[in-house]
Amino acid sequence: MSLALIVALPFVGALLPGLMIRFGRNASALAAGSVTALALLALLFHAPAVLRGEVVQTRVDWVPTLGLNASFFLDGLGLLFAGLILGMGLLIILYARFYLSKADPMGQFYTYLLLFQGAMVGIVMSDNILLLLIFWELTSLSSFLLIGYWKHLPEGRQGARMALAVTGGGGLAMIAGMLILGQIAGSYDLTVILENKALIQSSNLYLPALILILLGAFTKSAQFPFHFWLPHAMAAPTPVSAYLHSATMVKAGLFLLARLWPVLAGTPEWFWIVATTGLVTMVMAAKIALFKDDLKALLAYSTVSHLGLITMLLGFGTKAAATVAVFHIINHATFKAALFMVAGIVDHAAHTRDLKRLGGLRTLMPVTFTIALLAALSMAGIPPLNGFLSKELMLEEAAQTVWLTPWAMGLMATLGALISVAYSLRFLAHGFLGPVRDDYPSRPHDPGFGLWAAPALLAILVVVIGLVPMLCAVWLVDAAASAVTGQAVSAEIGHWHGLGASALWMSLAAIGGGLALLGIHPRLMAMWNAAPRPDAKRIFDGIIEPLATSARALTEALHNGSLTRAIAIATLTIVAAGVWAFAGGAHLPGTRALLPVHVVPVFAWAVLTVATVATALLHRDRIVALILTGVVGLVIAIAFAYFSAPDLALTQITVEVVTILLMLLALNFLPKTTPVESTTPRRLRDAAIAGIAGTGIGALVYQLMTREPAFEPISVFHLAQSKPGAGGTNAVNTIIVDFRGYDTYGEIIVLGIAALVIFALSEALLKSPTVAARLRAIGPGTNDAGDRHPMMLAIGTRVLLPMVMMAGVYIYLRGHNLPGGGFVAGLVFAIAYLIQYIASGYVWSDRRQRYDHHVLIGWGVLIASLSGAGAWVMGLPFLTSGYGYVTLWPLETFELATAAIFDLGVFLCVLGAVLLSLASLSRMAQRGGERANPTAYDIDPHKEAR
Amino acid sequence: MSHWIIAPVVLPALMAALMVIALRRNLFLQRVASVASILALNAIAIALFWSATTHGPEAYFLGNWPAPFGIILVLDRLSALMVLLLTTLALPVLLYAAGSGWDAKGAHFHPLLQFLLMGIAGAFLTGDAFNLFVFFEVLLIASYGLMIHGGGRDRTRAGIQYIAFNLVGSSLFLIALATVYSVTGTLNMADLAQKLPLLPQGDTALIRTAAILLILVFAIKGALVPLQFWLPGTYANAPGAIAAMFAVMTKVGAYATIRFGTLIFPTTLPATGTMIADLILPAALITLIVGAIGILGATTLPRLVAFAAIASMGTAFTAIAGFTPQSTSAALYYILHSTLATAALFLIADLVTRRRTDASLTAQPPIAGSGLIAALFMAGAVAIAGMPPLSGFIGKLLILQATRDQAPLIWTTILMASFLMILGLARAGSVLFWKSHATAGTPAPHPTEPLAIAATCALLAALAALTVFAGPVTHWLDATAAGLYDPAPYIASTQLYEDR
Amino acid sequence: MELLVAAAVGLMTAVGIYLVLRQRTFPVILGLTFLSYAVNIFIFAAGRLAVNMPPIIKDGASYTDPLPQALVLTAIVISFGMTAVIVIMSLGAYLEAGNDKVDETAP
Repeated sequence: MSLALIVALPFVGALLPGLMIRFGRNASALAAGSVTALALLALLFHAPAVLRGEVVQTRVDWVPTLGLNASFFLDGLGLLFAGLILGMGLLIILYARFYLSKADPMGQFYTYLLLFQGAMVGIVMSDNILLLLIFWELTSLSSFLLIGYWKHLPEGRQGARMALAVTGGGGLAMIAGMLILGQIAGSYDLTVILENKALIQSSNLYLPALILILLGAFTKSAQFPFHFWLPHAMAAPTPVSAYLHSATMVKAGLFLLARLWPVLAGTPEWFWIVATTGLVTMVMAAKIALFKDDLKALLAYSTVSHLGLITMLLGFGTKAAATVAVFHIINHATFKAALFMVAGIVDHAAHTRDLKRLGGLRTLMPVTFTIALLAALSMAGIPPLNGFLSKELMLEEAAQTVWLTPWAMGLMATLGALISVAYSLRFLAHGFLGPVRDDYPSRPHDPGFGLWAAPALLAILVVVIGLVPMLCAVWLVDAAASAVTGQAVSAEIGHWHGLGASALWMSLAAIGGGLALLGIHPRLMAMWNAAPRPDAKRIFDGIIEPLATSARALTEALHNGSLTRAIAIATLTIVAAGVWAFAGGAHLPGTRALLPVHVVPVFAWAVLTVATVATALLHRDRIVALILTGVVGLVIAIAFAYFSAPDLALTQITVEVVTILLMLLALNFLPKTTPVESTTPRRLRDAAIAGIAGTGIGALVYQLMTREPAFEPISVFHLAQSKPGAGGTNAVNTIIVDFRGYDTYGEIIVLGIAALVIFALSEALLKSPTVAARLRAIGPGTNDAGDRHPMMLAIGTRVLLPMVMMAGVYIYLRGHNLPGGGFVAGLVFAIAYLIQYIASGYVWSDRRQRYDHHVLIGWGVLIASLSGAGAWVMGLPFLTSGYGYVTLWPLETFELATAAIFDLGVFLCVLGAVLLSLASLSRMAQRGGERANPTAYDIDPHKEAR
Repeated sequence: MSHWIIAPVVLPALMAALMVIALRRNLFLQRVASVASILALNAIAIALFWSATTHGPEAYFLGNWPAPFGIILVLDRLSALMVLLLTTLALPVLLYAAGSGWDAKGAHFHPLLQFLLMGIAGAFLTGDAFNLFVFFEVLLIASYGLMIHGGGRDRTRAGIQYIAFNLVGSSLFLIALATVYSVTGTLNMADLAQKLPLLPQGDTALIRTAAILLILVFAIKGALVPLQFWLPGTYANAPGAIAAMFAVMTKVGAYATIRFGTLIFPTTLPATGTMIADLILPAALITLIVGAIGILGATTLPRLVAFAAIASMGTAFTAIAGFTPQSTSAALYYILHSTLATAALFLIADLVTRRRTDASLTAQPPIAGSGLIAALFMAGAVAIAGMPPLSGFIGKLLILQATRDQAPLIWTTILMASFLMILGLARAGSVLFWKSHATAGTPAPHPTEPLAIAATCALLAALAALTVFAGPVTHWLDATAAGLYDPAPYIASTQLYEDR
Repeated sequence: MELLVAAAVGLMTAVGIYLVLRQRTFPVILGLTFLSYAVNIFIFAAGRLAVNMPPIIKDGASYTDPLPQALVLTAIVISFGMTAVIVIMSLGAYLEAGNDKVDETAP
């Protein structure tokens, strides 16, 4: 089976346990187990070839531009790890089936486990470092789920988050490292990279790449100073700990060191960083392990210590040391997994993992004890068990390595070994030996076969490998070590290297010293407890929590929901950027002749200036401010007229009227004054900002007015084509409805939407009880003048209505050739209605609207769209007006229509928009309690009442 | 000349008008019409996509006037891609809105949604600078209506802020366009691309100013720091389905920046040179950091997603600022990814929020359907944080590779930001879905809303597809990006006018 | 003349910005109105000023640039729609919240 399939199998299979759980826990476990078994079989199917020294490869292109390909390869190292992962996985699945309680969702557990397993297999088989990165981060994610499996335990949640933060963070660093590595080697394919040792080590990017990659490896393998996450991951169910911390997760880092050993190792940087880190980790973690009473904590730190040991060996950079490292990876996996399972069994049986509360389990749990004995002695490095073999070789390598001084390394290694003897024996002595107690939280007893089968099998491996390594392990070691070092390896693993071997004496020293250490342990423990020491978790939280709180504080301070500040910042940014851009380019002042200044315009200008400034000063009295705004608007209309823009003047004035009236109606409900809120400094600040912006815009427009365009404006074409092309003498109007009719199309859509929005909003408001209450509180429009609806006004407007409408029709019809058009006409019609509202009140007028304004808008949009689409009939583009060309006579009439029809759409949209907005306001007024007047005009009912 | 180019604009308008006239009072029929319209739009988008891929750029001369005198639409690979992205996003969002009942919470949801689609599609397709403004306004005013859909105190006030801020932006847009016209005498984008290289030396300062003002307008849409303040309040207060739809609106800013930065103000234009990149890059990196910090510091789930949106824009603009074919291609891939991912996360946030008493990131009893929604959240979080196996990771790698020249600065920022995001999302998820199991109380009953869930899954599935087919996608995008830096065919297509 | 117009545009922009920076919706709306006044004249003036040259085609007449006028028309209409919406929305916000502050009191 293809390697890709072996990797894919766990991922695909991950769904099964979740589904099978409805058929019971056995079904679920069986599903998970068989998926794993299948993958393992497929792997073993490749084993012979690999052991022969061949490399199995499959390649699927995925993202070629990125250099990311789904290519896998299997060599000795990959085989070793994949075997460990899948084999151990099988045992864990068996163990977990009997470990998890009925309350635990087992389907979920196995799903997570398989996801994790797949990610691990992916890592060890990837032939593409980007692909490897993907699986790498996937292990972080899936282990996050596994560690946090017991959602209700705070330790579980925090442990999971810590593990994700540390390993995930390391993974991010590794992304950078791998990208650099790939760029040096010119490919992201491992098989290519592994060929380019010289190229990589000579590159000046070697050190950054090395450091970034090591960050990833060390965080994963819990090397000092990133070791602290591992013990906290122990909050996970024991099967998870056994899996993650014996054979898989933490070994991923070691795998990476071994995988890249051929290209990264051998340099002084490598030696000093890797070997030193490993050594420090080994000794430091061993020391901590010695003082842990929680079985799992003890094992956790011992794991860190042994990982340090292996890291150190890889750090030596010699073929022999790498071989030993590979061998110890196997041994550590066997005894450590067994010990974790034992810890779980004890926990199950005695309901505690605390060494202080245990002891004497030897007689109560003979089977468990036997397993624990073998595994622990192997961890201590007692002959003839497998742990002894690799530790002996390790000590030999250490003795021959020069680090600072010729003897320092050997000494430190021996110290590490010594302590590990001590804590291993303590695990046994304080856990199993000694008298049977009568104060266990629960009476311990051996578990059923299901629970001890897996550790027992591992214990057997420990013994067998220990007794006949050359028979049952060395071939694997050779294959793997050859893959790591890239040279043929044939290891010689034996129990006896003669009296000359320094390792012998170092071992003896370690064992003797370890026993002594165990002897004086109680006193050391007292000292340890007395001595102050940094708690990694507190340091970690000490970093993360402030980070989170300051992030919250910063975010809240930055995005405090203040619009005024946001706009102030935006304004300054815009001006600054504009000035910066302007300053960066060459500028010649314009040469255009300026217009002469006449008295009347200056007077108008003065009025505008005064009104504008006055608005700013008096804006608190809203009615006054509104009137002043209206004045400004009117002056602008006059200005448009003066500067040869009659269309603009007309539009401006009508829009002005409608806008002001709308705002007046709205002001009915709003407070009539604005309270003094901002301090004087704030007002000065705002004035300054406003001044800066004003100056900038004024200067810019002046520069534009006083120069000629660099190229002939496109409007020359519009003027030329207005009559012959678009059939209208009013160039502005032909542009609006023809040359740029599409803009107008969008523009009336905007109006239509505006009306719909207003309607929807008022609907929502009227539904809200609070709004209704406030409206009633505000009550009907206040009556400052005597009559609410003066008779004269009412009658006048009634007479006006048809006349204004006539005017509207006229403006609409002449639009194409003279100032006017559908938009203005629509507004004029709207005004005709508006004044009815003012004269006789919302309700009276609203009652006399017999149709829904939605229809107006809808038809407006529809007509405009269809008139535009009409051109399709003749194969012409959207919005082609009938005047586009002159052909047969019968078509002429039809063509005449199009532009006008489009303008009709505009007209309807505008009218509908204004009226719908009015209707919305009037509905609020009704809610506000305004009574419908019996007549169009009235004497104030309140007065009558008096 | 294919009339289909205008269809993404006209069809929604017609549908909306129809709904307003005839289906006002019948929500069911509105839903049917809405779905039908968006399905049709999807079909059209695919057809346009195909045509742009096989035939290259094509112009549509509105009113049958030659460019640059009339307004034209231009269909090229980029605009086709963006329209396709829009319609792809619209369908799940619409289904979610119907499935969650959001569209029943107020009047005119469906017509406004149609108008929004019309506006965005128009903005993507237009080849005229001023017309771009018009369609910005169309999409904006539609978005105002949708944003305050359903009303409510906070939402309405947030709506006012949103409008006010964007009205300032629109004024800026008009000032910039007026400057452009005043200096060059044209508004047609292709015409500008041809004329600007010939611009007299004495006008460069003014055209630079116009260029920067335009970019700032797009930066407002794209929520670039320090113009991002409008986004958190708006997106967090908008109805969930609408917030998801808004995920594509920030991309309009990104699109316009790419279009103007490659067609009109390329780095090869002496007048502007690398000015735009110089402005965008620092802003983008800060935006990314601000967004990431926001994710870690957010107080409510919708705000968290809003900051995720900001961070994603920071990442996208970081790539855009590169202004090389490679970085633009990476940016486009990331835009596709982040649009769908952000939208999905907004929907998930809405699923969660509506099942809880409030949106705050505090432990509450497990919500109804906790398991499934937690899984969805995990997927969405993985996507938005750019973790494998979803497309975000590939997008991140593409961007890192495209920016290797400035690796120390950009890589550090992007990776640090990812770290903060992972922290923030892990905290949020653990509080929302794990700690809840340690919190007393039983989940309040809530309808399962299969349609809403399915719509959310559809978006995540789209992300998965984007990952699996990353190879062909990036291949296509590389060609698209290359085309952007060789605008000759685009410009030529605008001159293929023959009068009838 | 141009100087006067430029000054007017600058002044209206300044007042517009100043009012937009107030804390109540109504002055903000007035401010936006002033901004749109300023912008409309900006666009118009960007097409250069001319007296007695309306773009109505006659024989032998010279014309001012009609295009900016058309753009201003579009701008006026759009800002009219926007103003209408924000007016009603401010009304709504006031009725919902009981005050017409623009800034969120507590995020």
